[in-house]
This record gives sequence, structure tokens and C-alpha cells, in this order.
Amino acid sequence: MAMQPHSKKRVCYYYDSDIGNYYYGQGHPMKPHRIRMTHNLLLNYGLYRKMEIYRPHKATADEMTKFHSDDYIRFLRSIRPDNMTEYNKQMQRFNVGEDCPVFDGLYEFCQLSAGGSVAAAVKLNKQASEICINWGGGLHHAKKSEASGFCYVNDIVLGILELLKYHQRVLYIDIDVHHGDGVEEAFYTTDRVMTVSFHKYGEYFPGTGDLRDIGAGKGKYYAVNIPLRDGMDDESYESIFVPIISKVMETFQPSAVVLQCGADSLTGDRLGCFNLTVRGHGRCVELVKRFGLPFLLVGGGGYTIRNVSRCWTYETSVALGVEIANELPYNDYFEYFGPDFKLHISPSNMSNQNTPEYLEKIKNRLFENLRMLPHAPGVQVQAIPEDAVNDESEDEDKIDKDERLPQSEKDKRITGEGELSDSEDEGEGARRDNRSYRAPQRKRPRLDKDLAQHKDDANSEDTKDDVKSVSNMEEPKKDVPPNA
Amino acid sequence: MAANMYRVGDCVYFETSSTSPYQIRRIEELNKTASGNVEAKVMCFYRRRDLPNPLIQLADKHQLAQSEDSPVAMKLKKICLKTPIGEEQAAQAVLDPALVAMEEESTELPGTDGLAPKQRHQAKHRELFLSRHVETLPATHIRGKCTVTLLNETESLLSYLNKDDAFFYCLVFDPSQKTLLADKGEIRVGSRYQTEVTNLLKEGEEEPRNSEDLETLVWTPEHGLTDRQIDQFLVVSRSVGTFARALDCSSSVKQPSLHMSAAAASRDITLFHAMDTLHKSGYSIEAALSSLVPASGPVLCRDEMEEWSASEANLFEEALDKYGKDFADIRQDFLPWKTLKNLVEYYYMWKTTDRYVQQKRVKAVEAESKLKQVYIPNYNKPNPALLASGAGCAGGKAAVLNGGTNATNGTPAPLPHLCASCQVTNSNQWYAWGPQHLQYRLCGSCWQYWKKYGGLKTAGVFGESEAEAVKGARDGDETALSASHRPHRCTVLNCAKEFKLRAHLARHVATAHGAGEGARPVMKTRAAFYLRASPFTRLARRLARALRRPRHYARNPFAPINLHQVKHDCTLAMAGAGAGAGAAGAGSAGAARARGPVGAVAARLAAAHGSAAPRAQDWLALTPRDRMPAPHHVAFPKPPKAPDGSLMYERVASRAEIEARRNEPAPAPPLKRRAYDDFNGLDSAGAGAGAGREAGAPPPAKRPNKHPAPMQRPSREQYAAMCARAQATGQPLPAHVFTHVNGKPTNLTGRGGRRHVISWMDAPDDLYFRATDIAKAGRRTLSSGELRRGARAPWRPMRGAGGAAGGAAGGALPAAAGKAAAGAPPLQLVILD
Ligand SMILES: [Zn+2]
Ligand SMILES: [Zn+2]
Ligand SMILES: [Zn+2]
Repeated sequence: MAMQPHSKKRVCYYYDSDIGNYYYGQGHPMKPHRIRMTHNLLLNYGLYRKMEIYRPHKATADEMTKFHSDDYIRFLRSIRPDNMTEYNKQMQRFNVGEDCPVFDGLYEFCQLSAGGSVAAAVKLNKQASEICINWGGGLHHAKKSEASGFCYVNDIVLGILELLKYHQRVLYIDIDVHHGDGVEEAFYTTDRVMTVSFHKYGEYFPGTGDLRDIGAGKGKYYAVNIPLRDGMDDESYESIFVPIISKVMETFQPSAVVLQCGADSLTGDRLGCFNLTVRGHGRCVELVKRFGLPFLLVGGGGYTIRNVSRCWTYETSVALGVEIANELPYNDYFEYFGPDFKLHISPSNMSNQNTPEYLEKIKNRLFENLRMLPHAPGVQVQAIPEDAVNDESEDEDKIDKDERLPQSEKDKRITGEGELSDSEDEGEGARRDNRSYRAPQRKRPRLDKDLAQHKDDANSEDTKDDVKSVSNMEEPKKDVPPNA
Repeated sequence: MAANMYRVGDCVYFETSSTSPYQIRRIEELNKTASGNVEAKVMCFYRRRDLPNPLIQLADKHQLAQSEDSPVAMKLKKICLKTPIGEEQAAQAVLDPALVAMEEESTELPGTDGLAPKQRHQAKHRELFLSRHVETLPATHIRGKCTVTLLNETESLLSYLNKDDAFFYCLVFDPSQKTLLADKGEIRVGSRYQTEVTNLLKEGEEEPRNSEDLETLVWTPEHGLTDRQIDQFLVVSRSVGTFARALDCSSSVKQPSLHMSAAAASRDITLFHAMDTLHKSGYSIEAALSSLVPASGPVLCRDEMEEWSASEANLFEEALDKYGKDFADIRQDFLPWKTLKNLVEYYYMWKTTDRYVQQKRVKAVEAESKLKQVYIPNYNKPNPALLASGAGCAGGKAAVLNGGTNATNGTPAPLPHLCASCQVTNSNQWYAWGPQHLQYRLCGSCWQYWKKYGGLKTAGVFGESEAEAVKGARDGDETALSASHRPHRCTVLNCAKEFKLRAHLARHVATAHGAGEGARPVMKTRAAFYLRASPFTRLARRLARALRRPRHYARNPFAPINLHQVKHDCTLAMAGAGAGAGAAGAGSAGAARARGPVGAVAARLAAAHGSAAPRAQDWLALTPRDRMPAPHHVAFPKPPKAPDGSLMYERVASRAEIEARRNEPAPAPPLKRRAYDDFNGLDSAGAGAGAGREAGAPPPAKRPNKHPAPMQRPSREQYAAMCARAQATGQPLPAHVFTHVNGKPTNLTGRGGRRHVISWMDAPDDLYFRATDIAKAGRRTLSSGELRRGARAPWRPMRGAGGAAGGAAGGALPAAAGKAAAGAPPLQLVILD
């Protein structure tokens, strides 16, 4: 795969040499060792020397509680295999025990995984890098106060929270075979993060990710779920991935992207049911990279470890824009890759239950939803006088923090989503034009220009509550759903 | 080829019963058994027809709530599926009368709006219910692949109807709890679940953390070195490593050859160290080289693989064998001087060794019983329900059915079949379908449809009610589900008998309707019975063209009558005449409504009229058995009683059973054959008797009427069972199977116009009479009056005629009487007028 010369990017890669030695337990499919296998392949492919390699810090409890609840992190910090019995009740509460076992060094493992993603996000924020990679991250099932699906601390959410300091809108894309429920839930009610997840849906972990789950409150239409069926192959995947992501870029206009590269969507995965090859999986990385936005790549699932390391090695090469040989270089784990010792894998003959018609229909429905987004281009920034501050909108914010909305509030949400769309968005259309994605193949602005832009961001942020979307009211109205 | 390759994860049809629809299963595991057979561990999908009724309604409601198209669903969905206050809202919404009204309008599946009624009907056949129920089935019962997908709201049901073998599901059925669940997780909303979103940094606000606090740079591509220089440095560091191993005593013991030392020095740990060294030396090769060879001697990097001694490695393997991959335990009991990380790292490296590969091979052999896929050739054996088609396969298979008798008998041209589903009369293949006595036929394509989708292509014509009846009859469980509080009632049309225990019902269904299925052995039933024609039957007899050959039917009582044809004819004949049509309708709907015994009816009526609990009139009650007039001579004394009070009968296999067994591959247990009793003076009738005695020889099916056959008289029920059996084995009906009701008159106690079935235990033995040429000749000497009289009173000895004639008369009589038995409800055909 020849990459264009301009696709050479500054790539930062996060890895701790200890990560491979954390062990979930006998028979557990999650094997951090796959990250080490990837690392060794990178070294022997000569990709290592082309990146900035960082050993991440161990994320502190303070950092983790930016998302997670204090008591949950406290629990994770204290629990050990030898004191488990004292924590029976909490283990139940936090869903630690079965899928998410207590193992030696559990907390450290979480610290490294989260530390990598947070450091990577900070790196992107400082514009010290264009692409950051943390294969030790991507644990997308972890919830605010709950472990789930082999994930304890949601490094992705922590990373995105970090990105949000500098980016008005962050796009999260998830190509793990499982629904990225932890990230979706965390940002379900905000319009600053759009979560887009491609996943197997139907009688499959975690059970969420219905096409109809589109976000709530301000976040309505900011969760995009692509429910898929068994046997997705490269061609089908691209046929849905490309139009959806293009449309999302066009309508949401993020200024940074996080891609969760769960490799359990590969063919032959121990837990997966898709039929993607390493090439098809890597194609997604390539496509997202082309948008030229600050780009954070994280790992995720992947339970046939030889294929996981193949996949992430290849995707690192894609991020670097470097072509690598199909012949695997010799390395400590070379024997794992027998009998062919090749980088690329072939799809199986499993049938693809995703018909073109099905994918087409899904796509069209999602397009309909995306059309509901307030349309940014062409919207003028309009100064709003101080006295125009709407009390209601403030109440809104407070109420939103509550667990459940009073009925009156909710009715409003249901009936007039357009009116309630987040004000910050519309107020900064002009600024966004400079910073966010606009069209494929467009190069990013130069760094210095971007830095200047940050100041602007900060400026408008100051006044965000004042900027009511007056100018925007007319435009999206016609897109208001008929049921509203 | 690929089509016959079944893999784990495939959804497939399983045939567990020849007459019922396929079962739809997903293969979870394929295991080779010791005997070399392949067993499939499968997960069950249920059809609508498998679910109890209340759940079906629930499912429809759920569908409605999910449906995008209907306004009510829109409202419901918005409230209950999309927002936090789900259930209360939904409840409120349902309380809204407008909503309720709308809801009642449609209980159809979503997306059916644009569908024609027929498609709507068929769409229901495509809905399945997922379950977590797992069972094991022989892989050879696989009959093809299908697909089952979670229905997506964007899809129209038409897309499933347009594809063969495509099913969808929305809900999960728990067969033990009898519950339905939506298989859908939930994204929760509230401050306990969402994160607080960080604000953009304000102007002048800086990220407070330094990168140095968050990360440590270990390599940068911004160096002055070329790739070549880096590669050279890597070679140098490996050389230093090799040299260091030569100097190291412990290493030289382990690696006696230079080769091995070089290989050990080429492991990734040395390379990583070299890269680190370069980085730390500021990418100066010179500085890096000197730090590779400090004053203390050349740098030696060893990973766990090399660090471990041979004995440690042995210990590890032993521990692994004993504890599996429980490294904490291994460490504690075997290698306490290692850390857990040591163990894990070593383990993953050990997996690259030959020793592991060997072990893996052993394991692979062990795991051989677990298959990933299995090849099952197409199943080509004809289904037992396949009806042999007339002249086409006369060669030994000609069914002695009205529709299929061959011309040699001199019978008129076969009557056309009529498909119970699509009404076609032309098909290459015909299948018996539904309860035996209804004699429904399905054309080839409708049969395939029935097997795959579990229903008929069209609704209502002959109704799915029959199909439901079959289902109910087949599965006592289902009946019990829908009527758990009521007595168990037989669901076969026109029967509706009630039983206190389900087991009794099951036995009744098996014996009386022959619907026992292969699983339950059909009992040797000896129930004698008596049938009185209802007015409708008589009416039908006169109206139906198909039946205007009473003599033929009297002579061929075993010949089933095409009931569709009869119904069809009656309907046509009665078209226009309102009353007549009503009667026909009543007739086809099942004339006999189950009202219970007359006594009970009287009691109910009396109660309705206000008289307080009147005693059943004596004259209404059936005479208790012990007060019945005793026969002068007990021809068949009761057999001895077993300790539990049951009568010990010798089991006597029916002819059909014998034949059926002969056709089964499995060896049948040796059958005790019992001497056949002769009646009607056949013994004295010499030739006739002689012919009738050839019990053992199976009659060639080709010209059954000419062939001597055993003396066996199956009852009506038994006849039905035999038919089922014969059809189930693909055999034509044996010619000798016809009924003969000249048993003991005392057993014919039925009077009230209902069929009265005597317990099989009380019934006389089976008798079969075949008219020989002599008998026929003798019959001809009788006047028609005498013949009729004989037919009405078959037990009465014939006067006037000689032995041969007597035998002949007897021959005619059973045939006539037998007709009564063979004719089946709802439209009974009895030639005795
Ligand atoms: Zn996953
Ligand atoms: Zn048909
Ligand atoms: Zn019955």
C-alpha cells in the first residue's frame, strides 16, 4: 500500500514494557501480552525507529476520577487477589469478579492503559504530534462506576476529556466488534463528543448499540450506532464505514478524532464474528487518517492474539505511512505466527449476513439522523447582547446533571430538539471553519496558525452561555423530526 | 459442497420428526462421539407456533411498540424506549384511550402495513424467538442451512419473504420460565453514568501538567542517524552480547555452541537495550558503543527464556501440567523464587519452544473430537408422509387409496388431489398432512413450505386451526399451557374429549387419532367402536359426487375418502341454499361439539333452569359395566391381572407394525404371534379358511385384493394408526387392513349418536376376513335383502346358504361394517342406511 508522501505524520507511540506481563487469569481471553507481541513486531519491522516512543506515566487516581467515581477508583486501588474476600459486596456493585477478574497488578494495568491515552491526548493538545497510538488503551466498556467486558478504567473517556480542553468537538469511532457502550454512555448527553460505533448487534455483548440509540438531551443525534450482523467482510465494512464517517465529518466537523481499533472484528477472532482481514481493518485507520485531524489510535478487544498483533502492527505502519513487507520479521514470538509467518491474513468462507440492502437501509437511516444535527456551515457568528442571556438555558444545564429529568424538561427535549441544541456550537461556526475537518484530503492548517486559533477557542468559550443560537434557529428547523 | 459444509455458528434446519416442521437451531459445537457419529450442540430457536398464546400476544404488543410506522408506536417508542422514565410513561401512554384504540387496530408485526394479507400471514412464519436453551442432536438430522437475523427496524418483512430460508427474531424466549424478553441493553442516563464534560480551556489558561510528568521519551525519530547506522549498531550490540555469553560461565554451560550464544544474543531484549542505549547516548554511535562495553565488562541482556535453568523449566512444565495456567499457584508451590511477572513472561516465551509445540500436538489430538465443521450430504430419502402416486409407481408401491388405485382393479380414474394449502390439483408429489383422519394433502411445494416455515402458505382456507390441532395433539405440553386450568381436551376436530390428566390425553391422541408420532409407540389398540351417521354425514353422502359410489366404498372400506373433495362438493352443491350452506359450514367446522355425556348436559341444563342440582336421570346414565347383560359365552376371557391391577396382555403386533418394522433398519424384537381366531365359520369354509391362514407371509402389495392375508381385524383406531404407520414408512396400506365389526354386540354400547370407543382392553381380538372367490361366489347366491340384513347384524349366523355361502356373506358383511369404521369424522361415511 503506497502512501502519499504528504501522509507522513509525526507519530507518538505509548508503550510500557511491563504491560505484557499482566495476566487476567487462566482461561481469560484478554491477554495484554498481545500488546508486547505488537511491540516486538514493530521493533523488528523497523517501525519503532520511525516513531517517538514514550513510556506513559501511571495515571493517578485524580486523573481517573475525572470520569470515574471516587469510590470505584478507590476500590480498584485497594482490591487484590489476596484481599478479595473482604470486598465481596463492592465487587458485586462494581461488577468485578467474573468477566473482569481481580488479578495481580490490576490497578497498575489500569494506570498504564489510562496513562497512555491521557498522555497521548495531552500530546495532541499541545500539537506536539499528529497521531498518537496507545495499543494498551481502548478499553471501551468501562463505565463510570462499573467494570465491564474486561475493562476497568475507560482510558478513552479520559483521553477524550483531555482533548475537550482544546477541542470543541471530538469524534470517537469504534471498530471493535463490540459496541463501545462505555464511551457512548459517558458522552450520551453531550453534543461535544460524537460517538460512532460499528459493531455486531443482536444476542451479543454488551447488548447495547441499537440503531435507535441516538443519544439523549443535548446529545441527541450525537450517538451513532451501526448495528451489524455476522460475517462482515472488508468490502461490506468499507461500504458502510466510508459514507458514514464522511457524513459524520461533514456534519459534525470534529477537530480531533479518537479511533478505537478493537481487533476482535478480525476474521477468526476467538470472541468475534466478523470476517475482516488485517487490510480491511487497517483501511479504517487509513480512511480516518486522511481527514488530517489530530488523531488518537487506541487498542481494544482482540482475542486471537497473533492476529491482533498483526493488525496493530499494520495499523502502526499505516499511521506512519510506511509500507511494510508481508513477510514477518523474526522476533521473540515468531513461532506464534505459523504456519505461514505472514503479516496479512485471509478471510474465512463464513457467510456474510449483512446484505447490501441491509447496509444501505442502515446507512440511510443514519443519514436521516445526521441531518438532524445543527448545520454549522454558513452560520454567521452573531454577538448576543448581555441581557439576552436566557435563564432557561442555565436551568437546563443544572437539571441535566440530575439523574432523571423532570417530565416538563423532557417534553421539551422531545418536542423541540432543534431549539435546545447546544449553543456553543452555533456560536463559533466561523472559528470552526479553520480548525475542523471540512473536506477530505484537506491538509491541516499549519501549527502556528492553529496555536493562534486556540486563543480564539478560549475566547468564545468564555461567552458560550451568552451565545444563544439565534442565527441558527431558522436553519435546522425544517430538519426537526416530524414526530416532534 | 460448501452448502453441505456445516460449521459452528451456522443456523440450520433439524428434522426430528418426519411430519412436523423442521426445527431451527444454531450449531454451537460439533462433537465426534466415540462411535464416530457427530453430535451437534445446538441453540434453539422457537417458532410462533411453539409459543403459548399469551406470549404471542405479548410479542405482538412489543412489536407494535417497536414499529416505526404506526403513530402509536412512534409515541410509545419515544417515551418508553428512548427516555429515562420508560415504564411509567409507557403505562400512561397505554392508558390514553386513543392509543389503546390504535393499539387494538393492529396486532400485526411491524412493517406489515404494505403487505397483502397473504404476505402478512407468511411473515409470521418467518419470525423466530431466540432462546438460551441448548440441546444435543445428531448432526445427520441436519436438513439444510437457514439464516436467522435480528430484525432491524429499517428492514421490511418483505425482504425476508423474498428470500428462502431467511428468518428473523426480535425477542428472546425462555422456555422454562415461559417469558419473553427483548434482547436489548440500555444506555443509562443520569449523572451516575455520564461524565462531566470538560470545558475548553479559557484564554491564557494553560495545561498545567508538563509532558515530562505524563511520559518518558525512550526513542525519537529525530536523530541524525541513518537506518544503516542503526542496523549496524544493532549488529554490534548482538556481537557484544555473544561475546558476553562466551565470558559468562553460566551461559556457556547452557549454550555450548557459539551458534546458540549468537542466537541468544539476537533476542529482542538485546535489540531493545541497544535502542535504549542509542537514545540515552543522544544517538551518538560512539557514546552508545562505549556504554555497551562498560568497565565491568560487555553488557549481557538476558530475558526469562534464557534466565531460566533447565530444571526450572522442567519444574514449570510439571506445574503447568498440574495447575494449568494458574501462575499464582504455580509460583507458590513450585517456583517461589520467581515473580509472577517472570512466570508470565516465561510462559509466553515457552510457548514458542518445541516442547510446547509437542504438547500442543498432543492436545490437538485430544481436541480432535471437537469439530469446526461437518459435511452432511443432502438428505434424499423420501419423507414418510409422501404419498405414493397412482399408476406411476404401481410397482409394489401402489397405494390402495381412492385417489391412487390402479386400473387393474377396474376402479374409475383416480380422483384429483387437492392441496390443502394452495388448492392446486397438480403436483409431482403429494404429502399426507394434518391429522390422519382428515386426510389432507399438500402439494410438493406447500409441503416444503410447511417443513421449513411451519405453516401453510395461505391462511384460513382449511385454516391453520387444523395445523394447530396437529400441534396440540402432538405436544400435550402446549395444550396444557393454554388450558392449564381446564381439563385437558383433545384438540382433534370433532373429538374434544376431555381428560383429567395430560397423560391420558396423550394416550387418547395416540390411540384414537393415531397422531402419536414415532416417538411414542403406537399401542396395539383393540377398541371396537360403533358409528352412527349424523344428519350432516347423510346429507354429505348425498351431495358429494365423490361419494356416489357407495358399493365401491363398501367393498373398499380401507380406502380413505378425499375429504376436501367432499367438502368442496358439498359447498358447491349447497351454494345458494342458505340453510344448506350453513349446514355444510357446520359440517366442515366439525359437527360434533363436545358437550360431555348426556347426563352432564342434562344436569347443566337443569342447573341453568334453576332447579337445584338435580340428579342425573337414571335413564340417561350409561349402564354400569357390571350390570350389563352378560354374554352367554365369553369368547375372550380377561387375561390375568398383574400385581398392579393391570391386565396382562400378550402384545400382538398389527400387520402394519410388522411391516413397518420390516422396513426399519433396527431389528425389531421377536414378535409373538398369536393364533388368529376365525369367525363366521370360515374354518368350515375350507378353501377360504385355508387362504386366510397364511398369516406369516407378507402380502405382495401389488395386487392386494387377490392375496391371502392374515386374519386380523384392526379397529377403526388401529386402522388409523396403521395408516399412519404405513405412511410413515412409505408403505402402501396393506390390503388386508380393513375393519370388521362383527365382534361381540355387547361391546357396542354407544347409542347417542356419538362415536363410542370401548377401551382397548375390553375390545375383542382383531379379526380379518378376506373374501375368497368361493366366498364371493357364495355371496352372489344371497338376495340383496339377505345381504343387507347380514350387514346390519353381522353377528347373526346366515340362514339358508351353505358353508361357502355363509362365509361369503360374512365376507360381505365385515366389509360393509368396516366401512363405518373407515369413514372418519367430520363427515362420516357409513353405507349402512
Ligand atoms: Zn470487543
Ligand atoms: Zn400447495
Ligand atoms: Zn380425540
